[in-house]
Amino acid sequence: MGRLFIKLTIIITVALLLFLPINNFVKQSRSYNINDDILAFKKDPHPVDIINLGASHSMYGYYFKPTGLSHLDLALPAQTIQYDFKLLKEYGEHLKPNGVVIVSISQLTFINSKDMDVGRYYEILDHSEIEPFSLVDYYRYLYFPGTNSEIFTSALSSKWKGFKWTSHQSWANDGKNYAERKTEFIEEQYREASANDEIEQNVQQFQELLEYCKDQGYQVVLTMEPVHQTYLDHFDEQAMERLVFQYLDPLNLDVPFLNYMDDPRFSDNQDYFIDSDHLNSEGRKKYSWIVYEELKSMGYFE
Amino acid sequence: MTFISIEFLLFFAVIVFAYYSIPHRWRWVLLLAASYSFYASLSGYFVFLLLTSTAFSYVTGILIEKQETKKQKKKVMLVGIGVLLFFLGWFKYFNFVNDSLRAISAYLNWNYTIPYQEIILPIAISFYTFQAVSYLVDIYRGKLKAERHYGYFSIYFAFFPQLVAGPIERAKKLLPQFKVEQTLKYENLSYGMKRIAWGFFKKTLIADRLAPIVASVYDNPDATGSQIVLATILFSVQLYADFSALSDIAIGCARMLGIKLTENFKQPHFATSIGDFWNRWHITFSTWLRDYIFVPLCKGKKKRSEIYVAIIITFLISGIWHGAAWSFVLWGLIHGFYRVFGDHTKQARGKMASFTYLDRNPTFHKWVKIAITFLLVCFSRVFFRSDSVTAAFTNAQLFLTPSSWRPSGIIDAFEIFSLLDLAIFAFFFVVMQLFHHVERKNASTWNWLSQRPVFARYAVYVLIVVSVLVFGATGQGFVYGGF
Repeated sequence: MGRLFIKLTIIITVALLLFLPINNFVKQSRSYNINDDILAFKKDPHPVDIINLGASHSMYGYYFKPTGLSHLDLALPAQTIQYDFKLLKEYGEHLKPNGVVIVSISQLTFINSKDMDVGRYYEILDHSEIEPFSLVDYYRYLYFPGTNSEIFTSALSSKWKGFKWTSHQSWANDGKNYAERKTEFIEEQYREASANDEIEQNVQQFQELLEYCKDQGYQVVLTMEPVHQTYLDHFDEQAMERLVFQYLDPLNLDVPFLNYMDDPRFSDNQDYFIDSDHLNSEGRKKYSWIVYEELKSMGYFE
Repeated sequence: MTFISIEFLLFFAVIVFAYYSIPHRWRWVLLLAASYSFYASLSGYFVFLLLTSTAFSYVTGILIEKQETKKQKKKVMLVGIGVLLFFLGWFKYFNFVNDSLRAISAYLNWNYTIPYQEIILPIAISFYTFQAVSYLVDIYRGKLKAERHYGYFSIYFAFFPQLVAGPIERAKKLLPQFKVEQTLKYENLSYGMKRIAWGFFKKTLIADRLAPIVASVYDNPDATGSQIVLATILFSVQLYADFSALSDIAIGCARMLGIKLTENFKQPHFATSIGDFWNRWHITFSTWLRDYIFVPLCKGKKKRSEIYVAIIITFLISGIWHGAAWSFVLWGLIHGFYRVFGDHTKQARGKMASFTYLDRNPTFHKWVKIAITFLLVCFSRVFFRSDSVTAAFTNAQLFLTPSSWRPSGIIDAFEIFSLLDLAIFAFFFVVMQLFHHVERKNASTWNWLSQRPVFARYAVYVLIVVSVLVFGATGQGFVYGGF
């Protein structure tokens, strides 16, 4: 048995020695540290003027530093309303009395119910808020993220940005390929959410979030971030009615709704986008100024 | 707790340690407790159904043995099998029959009032029911004595490494192994660990990486013909990697406890005919069907047409066993047709091979047969993978359309992968094929590997461990776990 023990020790030791640099690579990647800003805020909390919730459209959408507003970005890619709500309950107390909560609405808002990567919430939310919570997964995520193939592949993709099929590049075929793939993804999500009755649950969760804001005295503004024309071609009025407005309109909400989705200042200018539905740093700055001025004109932040 | 989890590995490590630490007379208690805990963690209160089926089979086995005449024995056996099949039928086929009757009634304008029932399928019920049936039939046939030790019998029914998805073992082979005192052997532990590691490799690096890719095509109503062709071929690879991984882990775990389970796969995608395929794919199930369905059906039959009917019935049962859906019935029917057609045209095909001089180059001839068999298997799997009969026919039509096979179309279809995912999958697929290649040249890759220099050997072990750790995708259940 001693022979087996020595063999196993050698194999495990060599495997660990090879694994450690990989683990380190993942730990330093953007995909693993996607919640960095929230984590930094948690360590150094301060009153903020504006909080934005939502998924990647919102995360890539706002940068209020030039406006002088203090801002907390609680949006994370593919974030569900459920986690929007949890994050707001955790960090909402830092909103200034006249502050604003931006609730971003996208094509996925009511049809997205699976938060695939709950690991990113381990350090920014209380464990009791995370579903499902597993102690093994928790320690694995914190100390051995290299064992999570999704995060590793994502880190590798970020490192080798150009390692894609030509047709998979963001702006291949003027962004039409990307928009088509995204449409297919959203349609699939829609089919699944409809089949599993998840849309009603999301709408209810959305209402609860707004009611919570009302109870806490938070000022809520709904927004829809700008997208490029190639994306708009797939998400015309009819598609948006089916995915979003047929659920949103009947709620008769008494909160402002700033819809910039087809704003021509952005939709015709590729320079403002990473891909056809996510703003880049330049687009983000311009858009945030527009939102800021619009909110000011509506009497917020006074 | 599934096989592919840290929890299972820890659980199993504790069981192995305890197994060899306690006296032999108490080991059955440990294995039984482990098996029921494992099953309860997967299927909750259905553990009571397992307990009931076990107790029932135990009593029925003894009752069969106690009957004096063959006729009486047969009666008791048939009642026993009937009850076991009733459990299986109720949980697995109630809604299938109910939905089919409703559809027929609607077609005939009849009033049908039985609504859809929310029935959860207990995990492993198909597998342990088949083991129980073979146990009762073997006692009736006089091949086996009814087991009197309830503990050992219960382990045979619920042995946790093979409970979820086989191999479907015969009592004659498994029961005596539980009774023999297994000593701690280096060879068993070492071989078992390698098989488990290889199972993890196939499941997490091949099957689970392919599963979302295949699903993205099969769930897409606008998939192109070439995408269906590619996804179906990939599904065949996925299904093999998934199911054989399950068997590898089961065989590996059992071996670490000193128990030898039956091999369930022998590189089925290298079969040279459909008959050969069924000798290599899910072997314990194929032999079960042969011994308990096909052979009894052929009893007294001499005409070829009667044998063909028996073949078709056997494959229909195979299809129904797999899943309660008409698409599985059609899948079974297609394989039945393949077998009958293959047998009926054997001579003609031989003549054709001779006429085209194909038989003058045996190696090339063999590879042509392998390719044809693989494509036939792939075609049948369109029905296996599709969600409904309508979808299956649409996909089958796309699969058979010649333009779907245009090389440029197939190359374009590879874009269902991201380039990075394709590179990762391709690397591990090549590793798996190398493993198979060595296996085809030698009896066992592990034995071949043990004769290599230490550095090469350890490099392979480390590659497997690191690959599973870093690239291993998890989260997908086992396809056959659902049957």
